[in-house]
Order: sequence, then structure tokens, then C-alpha cells
Amino acid sequence: MQAGDVAGILGMTTPEATVFLVPLNRQGPWAADGASYLRELSRAFPDLLVRVRRLFVTGDNTAVAEITVDGTQADAFLAVANQEKHFDLDQAWMLTVTPDDRISAVIAYWDQNQLYRRLGVRRLDKITITAG
Amino acid sequence: MTTWASRVGPGTVPREEIAEAAVRAFFAAYQAHDVERMVDLCTDNAGFRYVPFEVWSRQRVLYGEGKVRTVGKVIWTTLLDAFPDLANVVTSLRGDEAGNVAAEVRIGGTQAKDFGNVAASGGRYQLPHLFLFSVTGDGLIDDIVAYWDEAGWKQQLGCVEVD
Repeated sequence: MQAGDVAGILGMTTPEATVFLVPLNRQGPWAADGASYLRELSRAFPDLLVRVRRLFVTGDNTAVAEITVDGTQADAFLAVANQEKHFDLDQAWMLTVTPDDRISAVIAYWDQNQLYRRLGVRRLDKITITAG
Repeated sequence: MTTWASRVGPGTVPREEIAEAAVRAFFAAYQAHDVERMVDLCTDNAGFRYVPFEVWSRQRVLYGEGKVRTVGKVIWTTLLDAFPDLANVVTSLRGDEAGNVAAEVRIGGTQAKDFGNVAASGGRYQLPHLFLFSVTGDGLIDDIVAYWDEAGWKQQLGCVEVD
């Protein structure tokens, strides 16, 4: 993810893998929705850093990870205009892993309001308008 | 390898069952609006972090981070006062042998009073949350972290200001 290696990530997932990006209410096939989100993220934040702060694996083989993502905006992202602002955002991801160690489902939680705040957005109904 | 603990009931109980029972009891207390019970289910020094909780003002920023018995108790009490019909449904619960538990919970309610910078307009919200717990071998919650989308929460309540 940090390397923006979307193809590499796709190679870790099952063909039927699903994704639910909770704050975006984006739910569907990982190969489409997950991959497009990661491409958009790595394009807009080319210096993206991902740090795993906590990781545990539950009895049903779900990896639960608290991560911090940070980077500097270099292009528009989710309709937010680029102001070259740096952001850092704590997130939690749950990855369901098959017995042959492939990811079959991804659920991701974060606070979109925090992301908007970091990128200079003032109003949720006008996210294309940012503060200076 | 399974870690065993023996506090609950006769015989030995797997630690993840003890941890999941503690978390279910926590959300039952939350559903009953019993903040004292929620706190009693935690250790004296339990950590607390509501990740999206940031109140920005000109002078300072307040974060939803600290201890259950101080910051957590105040936030729960204030939230239940502002949303008197607050309700939760646990939609998934999964734990490990070290006492970690991840709980997906739908929480919703109708706003009756101002909360933070969100003025009361009678709006109602329903939002998925992810809670991460650490539970001791004795079945007490030692740490709570929660994630949700504050933007979705504000929009449902009619607030469009980021801060």
C-alpha cells in the first residue's frame, strides 16, 4: 500500500474478494472498488507512508490493524482540491484471510471529517472549496 | 495454542470467550444507558480513545483520549444526555487469545441537546462504528479505541461545518 503497488496488493487477494470502505459507503469487489481507491490515494499522495500501530488476528482468521496513513497532497483527492497540505490519519482495517493466506474481504474505518480538516476543507456540503 | 483463564464459571474458559463476554456486557450496559456499569466493566486505569473525537477551537483542540474513568465517562454521559434514545446493535464480534476484541456496532439516536459544535435540530443518526478492546484475563476491559465517520454523523444531524 505504501509503495502504491496496487497490482501487488491485488495478487494477495482472492478473485472474489470484497471491500467496504465505510466512510465512503463504497462497497463492492476489491478488484474494482478497492483497487480504484488505492490508485486514487497513491496518485494524490505520492509520498504516502503507512505505519502499522497495532495488529492482532482473531479466531476466525481476521487480521485487525490500526494504521496511520500520512502524506502530502499533490493532486485532487475525492473531489478535494490540491493545496499541497500534509495529512496524517488514523484508520482501522479488518482483513479476512483464507486458509491459504489470501485476503478475501476488507473493511476499512476512518473519519472522513478528519481527512477534510487536514486538507483544508471547511464545509461538508462544499468539499471542493478549501481554506487557504 | 489456546490461552486459558478460569475466572468465569466452573472449569476453564478460553480467554477469547471471557473477553467477548466482557464486551457484550459493555454494550448491554451502553444499551441500558448505565454508564456506571460501563465503567465498572473496565479496569481502574483503562485507556480510552475515540479517534474521530476532535473539538477544534481558536485556543485549543480537545481530543477524545485519556482514561475511561475520566474522559470516557464524561463523553458517554454527555452523549447519552444529548441523545436520550441512543441505541446500539452489535453486528460482529471477534476476539483473539490475548484478549483483543473487535466489535462492529451500529449506533444511532435522536439529538435532543447540543453536542460539541453540533446544534440540536431534532436530527437522527445511524452509523457503523468499529470498537477495539483489550480485555484482561480477569474479564475487565483495559483499553477501548473506537472509529467512525464523523462527517457522516454530522451530515445526518444537519451540520455541514467541518469544525
